[in-house]
Amino acid sequence: MSILNRRLFLGASAAALAAPSLLGAQTMPIKLGSLTPLTGVGGTYGPSMRDAISGVINQVNEAGGLLGREVVLVSEDTQTSPEAAVRAARKLIDVDGVAAILGTWASSVTTAVAPLAWESRTMLMCVSGADSITQLPHQGFICRTQPNAELQINTAGEFMLREGATQLAWIGRQTPFAELSIHVLEKIAAENDFGMDSLIYEADKTTYRSEVDQILRSNPDFILLGGYAADTVVLLRDLWQAGYEGQIVGPAYAVNPSVLDTLPKDVTEGVFTWEGAPAVESAAYANVQQILGVEDVDPYSAQTYDHANLSILAMAAGEGTTGDTIQSNLRLISQGDGALVDNAVDGLAMLSGGINYSGASGPCDFDDIGDIVGTQFVFKLISNGVASVHSRT
Amino acid sequence: MELLPQLLINGVIFGSLLAIPAIGFTAIFAVLRFPNFSVASHATIGAFAGYAANVWLGLPTVPALLFAFTTAAAVGCISDEIALKPLRPYGALTAAIASIALTIVLENMVRLGFGNDLRGYNLPLMRDWRMYGVRVGPQQLQNLILALMIMTIVFLALKFTRTGKAMRAVADNPELAELKGIDPTFVGRLTVFFGMGLVGAGGMLLGLGTSIDPLTGFRFILPIFAAAVVGGLGSIPGSVIGAMVIGIGEELSILVLSATYKSAVGFFAIVIVLIFRPRGILGERKF
Repeated sequence: MSILNRRLFLGASAAALAAPSLLGAQTMPIKLGSLTPLTGVGGTYGPSMRDAISGVINQVNEAGGLLGREVVLVSEDTQTSPEAAVRAARKLIDVDGVAAILGTWASSVTTAVAPLAWESRTMLMCVSGADSITQLPHQGFICRTQPNAELQINTAGEFMLREGATQLAWIGRQTPFAELSIHVLEKIAAENDFGMDSLIYEADKTTYRSEVDQILRSNPDFILLGGYAADTVVLLRDLWQAGYEGQIVGPAYAVNPSVLDTLPKDVTEGVFTWEGAPAVESAAYANVQQILGVEDVDPYSAQTYDHANLSILAMAAGEGTTGDTIQSNLRLISQGDGALVDNAVDGLAMLSGGINYSGASGPCDFDDIGDIVGTQFVFKLISNGVASVHSRT
Repeated sequence: MELLPQLLINGVIFGSLLAIPAIGFTAIFAVLRFPNFSVASHATIGAFAGYAANVWLGLPTVPALLFAFTTAAAVGCISDEIALKPLRPYGALTAAIASIALTIVLENMVRLGFGNDLRGYNLPLMRDWRMYGVRVGPQQLQNLILALMIMTIVFLALKFTRTGKAMRAVADNPELAELKGIDPTFVGRLTVFFGMGLVGAGGMLLGLGTSIDPLTGFRFILPIFAAAVVGGLGSIPGSVIGAMVIGIGEELSILVLSATYKSAVGFFAIVIVLIFRPRGILGERKF
């Protein structure tokens, strides 16, 4: 056998050996990862966030899959803890080889997971608000459907002014957006010649009586809360017991239905909440309602529903199954002049003509650094233990 | 500084509540000679048992507290028998690590049964009373009285009952106690029963003024441990003093530190004690 023939033989053998794995790669399921807080302080939201993603994937698979392949969901729990989230993200990236990680909730968690995502060129879609997240050098591998903290606090600050505040206060736990929240509120107070006091407390304490005593020394007439549900429930109780008679506004994820169920109605009476308004009139929202079997969809499940649709459509548009494909094609399918679609199944059918995905959380248009644009907010007023719409922006 | 009297009152009330699980923790250490970190999940179990008794069965606070005590005590005995007792011959470190694993298992069992949602007791909430510029909540005062009653019962039981004396004997010198006819295994079980019962009752008392979730006990583990170490691991009066030091120290710390660093008081107290008085304020085995 000549050298050439031996080379040919070796080449043919290698090709024959590699063929099954290459063919296998073409038929292997496409993996998407969900990294939601199934436990910990975000545990109220995590399970339904995951179920919304799962529902989208089921619908796509029933309609024939993506690029002729089945899509599977690999779900992990962040435990609302950066350390646990990093371990889970490593598993999703290194072991499962997911194209995208969807649904990180707490800003501290997203911040911790972000470098793993962009270093492995895995797309990360989050619902976290800290401004610093999209300012990281993520090379387009991060986007969020949650408005950033600066926009959120500005919106809440303007609301407080409209409601007649003259002495502002911010009290919340240590988070990546705590300092920024205080800064934004101080700026608003300075522009209007109002007083402003702030206090950052430690998470996971069983009482905030002393912190309440301290913040009430400035006699605020409007307090903005900056915690999560577990500490907010303690704080609201302590404020009420201390006899605070002013107004309170808190993020809807902190003053959530679980908090309203837990606290006596007197404690939450007159408290305002605000949140990015889901597109409640949209077909996408109705689809999430059907998937989850609930009437009121929380904003985070609406957002993770959009994460799943966006990932699938971006991979279909780029005819690839990697994080790179999603990163390159995300804005191609989420904004522009294409036909409006509200779910991946319709989007896959209409892809060739150009599409613009508009989902359950809103239009899903992203700026250059991955921040959502065009978010509207809804303010709710709690009365008799029930939150009802007060105003919209 | 005008906040000082208020912070002192807040600290005393928090310290007295913290003392109950700290007594349980240190009693178990005194007799079984290992730090049982599963007190975290047993505090959670007590809090949820109390919740079930109060909200589902409609029982008032004191019967619900007894139910919390009994449930946590029973779970403590069973879990100790299954998970920790077989590992104790391998050393205190092995048993301590196993107790951390146990607390994760038990916490997740609570999560499986009750879910992640926050839950509140069905108790009337009242505004605080104000006297001489300081405020005290009626619920807080009731909790304080209950905590003091529990502490009194524990001290009387240890001093005057045969069981209490047997526990003290085993804590002081297990070999000598065995020579006197005291069964250390039985006393160990009794200690776990009463220790975990106290932890469960403490978990409910701490939960009464707030809300509970599967992480309720986990939030207390550092102050409980710090209280026991500061007072002297194995010393019951020491754990009460340690709880007061931690409780008052945490509250007063916000006069000089950001409230973000409250828990650092516990660590700081442990470091100071380990440097200047490694056996704690009262020393160990002052059962």
